[in-house]
Amino acid sequence: MAHSLARHASTRQALVTDNIANADTPRFKAKDVRPFADIYQAPGTDLPRPHFIPASTRPGHTSGVELASGGAGLPGMEALEITKVGASSTSGNTVSLEDQMVRGAEAKITHDMALGVMRKSMEMLRATLGRRG
Amino acid sequence: MSDLLTSMVAASSGMEAQSSRLRLVSENLANVDTPGFRRKTISFEEVHRQGDARAVATGKIFLSEAELERVYDPAHPMAGEDGFHDGSNVDLMIEIADAREARRTYEANLRMFDQSRGMINGLFDLLRR
Repeated sequence: MAHSLARHASTRQALVTDNIANADTPRFKAKDVRPFADIYQAPGTDLPRPHFIPASTRPGHTSGVELASGGAGLPGMEALEITKVGASSTSGNTVSLEDQMVRGAEAKITHDMALGVMRKSMEMLRATLGRRG
Repeated sequence: MSDLLTSMVAASSGMEAQSSRLRLVSENLANVDTPGFRRKTISFEEVHRQGDARAVATGKIFLSEAELERVYDPAHPMAGEDGFHDGSNVDLMIEIADAREARRTYEANLRMFDQSRGMINGLFDLLRR
């Protein structure tokens, strides 16, 4: 799950950077992905999204979430256009730099959180190996 | 991780586009008193090609079609019989506003570049331990 979250955050960061690079391109539409909570699907369940089930101990739990379509991304992680009131300019561009900054900061925080979880799980694995660090 | 690398390339393409825009602004400002000079502008285009991580590219340079300013200066060697000659169609206020906008977007791109780099570093720190 931490893996998926990190991947979601980095995809989001890529989209935000794309939007900012195109902040002055005429007719460019700002894009973002759906929130992680809406698209996350616990592996081995067919429950309709969004339906969050925390993973409990089961075979393969250390490998994290199996990603659909050969690890290309979470299902539903395609870029969608953002609709934000007041962001569109006369050139048809819908990028608001301030809004994108907030989204970028969110991506960074989420990424850090996912990495923190990964680090903790690695430390736990190391602890079972009997030596620290 | 490849998303993060892609975003660094995208941010750098944004900075590149903004700096070429800023270059044209300086050219326009430098030529504000050049007789017959037409203001130059550059077009920005979204990049969609597969395998090209850039997000934006600069397109053609356009010359402004706006009317040239008529300057009254009978002593000027280019002045006509009525004492007027063609000035440039550069408006200082527009150029300065353009430069500000370019700079603002450049900084936003720079910040995103820095942030992507920070995220990659975080990933590497995880491996280093």
